[in-house]
Amino acid sequence: MHRRGFLTTTAAGVTLLAFPAVLRAQSKEPIRIGFPLPLTGTFAAIAADLQKGAQLAVEEINAKGGVMGRKLEVLFRDDELKPAVGAQRTKELIENQKVDFVVGGLAAHVQMAINEQTKAAKKLYISVSQSDEISAKPDTSPLTFHEALNPTITSRAMATYGMQNIGKKWWVVYADYAWGKQNNVVFNAAIAKLGGTVLGSTPYPLGKPEFSAHLPKIQAAKPDAIYAVTPGADNVPFLKQAISFGLKKDAKIAQPLHFLYYTKEGGAEVFQDIYGATHFCHELAETLPQAKRYVEAFTKRFNQPPDAYSGYGFNGIHEVARGVELAKSTDSDAVANALRKNREYDHYKGKQWWRACDNKSFQDLWIIRVRSPQQVKGEWGLFDVIGKVAANEELDRTCAEKGHA
Amino acid sequence: MIRGAFGPFTAWVTVHPIASFVVFFAIFPFIAPYQALATQVLIFGLFALGFNLLYGYTGLLSFGHAAYYGLGAYGAGLALAKLKVTSLWLALGIGLGAAVVGGALVGFFCLRRRGIYFAMLTLAFAQMLYFIAFHAADLTGGDDGLRGIPLLPLSLFGVSVSLRHPLAFYYFAYVLVVPAVAGLKRILDSPFGAVLRAIRENSDRAVACGYDINRVKLLSFVFSALFTGLAGALDALRLTVVPVESLYWSTSGQVVIMTLLGGAGTFFGPFVGAATYLVLADRLSLFIEAWPLVIGVIFMAFVLFLPRGIWGTLTSRGIGS
Repeated sequence: MHRRGFLTTTAAGVTLLAFPAVLRAQSKEPIRIGFPLPLTGTFAAIAADLQKGAQLAVEEINAKGGVMGRKLEVLFRDDELKPAVGAQRTKELIENQKVDFVVGGLAAHVQMAINEQTKAAKKLYISVSQSDEISAKPDTSPLTFHEALNPTITSRAMATYGMQNIGKKWWVVYADYAWGKQNNVVFNAAIAKLGGTVLGSTPYPLGKPEFSAHLPKIQAAKPDAIYAVTPGADNVPFLKQAISFGLKKDAKIAQPLHFLYYTKEGGAEVFQDIYGATHFCHELAETLPQAKRYVEAFTKRFNQPPDAYSGYGFNGIHEVARGVELAKSTDSDAVANALRKNREYDHYKGKQWWRACDNKSFQDLWIIRVRSPQQVKGEWGLFDVIGKVAANEELDRTCAEKGHA
Repeated sequence: MIRGAFGPFTAWVTVHPIASFVVFFAIFPFIAPYQALATQVLIFGLFALGFNLLYGYTGLLSFGHAAYYGLGAYGAGLALAKLKVTSLWLALGIGLGAAVVGGALVGFFCLRRRGIYFAMLTLAFAQMLYFIAFHAADLTGGDDGLRGIPLLPLSLFGVSVSLRHPLAFYYFAYVLVVPAVAGLKRILDSPFGAVLRAIRENSDRAVACGYDINRVKLLSFVFSALFTGLAGALDALRLTVVPVESLYWSTSGQVVIMTLLGGAGTFFGPFVGAATYLVLADRLSLFIEAWPLVIGVIFMAFVLFLPRGIWGTLTSRGIGS
């Protein structure tokens, strides 16, 4: 593939040169944005989607003449899903490529390493990783913004929807690492608060999806539903084992997040009727005009509909551009202040806003369920949107709970 | 052909190893693709050199060198982030101390076995440390890594120098790595170094010559952990974060690859291997996603056809190493 072009520089297409505004922008130095992401490793498919969203945003912005008459340039770097590599790449982007801002970092632990570099270099960083710590003290900073959902918001939303619509007695299966553990803790607390019961929680080592020893015990407890925090490549093996043990018939299954590309790969036979949350799916184009415009532009550009994370990449770039335009400057402090003062934005799916205390983005999320193989629409129509959880600061920890006085 | 072209160069380097090292790495940041990568080469070169002391010279294959690298990194990192130590030197000392104590303890147990059992034991100890660091999240940050390590200014004779600039940090690492490399050379050139090679070649004969090979091996293990720990501590300062992966077996594997690629048992081989591996990985990943495949093929080619590694092949024409 034209990966070389993707990685070295994502400039606007050659056709854009026809626009006079872009020609004027050519005479000035571009505004450079560094974008580390795990192009190799377990999350490569999600990273590719994230990258496409960012790329689309840059192309759209540059086609309209750039920002303050300057082109945007995004430099993607493979962080290999390793924190040390993420840190090293970010150093290179800041020290040698002289990027003005950094967006990206998909895995929580890599994002933390990137954040340490941007804090030291005093550069604005928009994280697109699911993480509770990134917007809490001591990790956060006035220049650290967090675009993605986090485990607290996701699991509180799923617990609320689940108690009303799925069942009262739950069992949690979770991968034993930071993201899995946080989801387990938050989900347990939320279910208890809502008057339900978590009958038990089963941790397993991430990347070792062997559940046969646990499944009979879970079956014997007779839960109404299972909350499966089985990310990435563990997702399909868990569901297959749950099916072969008959657990999927006895109980409903919900998971914190659904990914279109993973679901398509695993197939509707495996994923049928599984509940999950998402901050975006292309089916939203049927009801939201913003989503329709975004999905159409994305599909036209890449010949496939977007998965969820491309939205984070799209927003990350758009928010940098909006901040620069508002601040009339590429100074990170000025841009961060401008974003906090003009908190609301809407680039592809409805209103979002930055909370002033912790630079956390609040956004709508949706509960979706996978269709049966007979109901799947075309190649990509795998999800039914069955509920909406409106953006709400109360879903996250409070500013005080996150250490912001 | 290649050897012939490099002959005079490698001959000079072999005769004046430390001088060559000092000169080359003084200008290295200006020829490397970027400074952060130059510093990484310096640090991983030292890591591989430390590993090679045990593997290339003593003949002991450790699959758990991530342990001492990680102990050095966590030692220095915890001193700065949690103990709030205000001296960079003290933090480095704590990192080195942790690596040396770890090396002595692990060496004490592992050296009771030989060959594959020794390798497996070193791996097991390293993985144990990894799981401790992974689960002691309150102290180590768990899988999010240890954060909040301040990069303190360097105080020396009442003068305070900021290490924020990438070149400043490079030369800070340089002035620490140069004496370490010189020290290692001195160790290898001493009678003790000769005993190490004797053990590698034939440990029974070394025993017959009257050497207490267990003590010598343990000392070699501890020295190896010391150099590796220095590399780890420097890397913690460089990245201001300690990823839990620094203790993982993949880090141990990486140093084995670097050493074999450059040439095990040669003095500069590991350094050449580290530089080749890191620069290749860095440059290749800009162009192709499948860069590990390319490095894998190169590595296999060396193991199969040039088992002396890059440096070993260049210096093998009777010049010795």
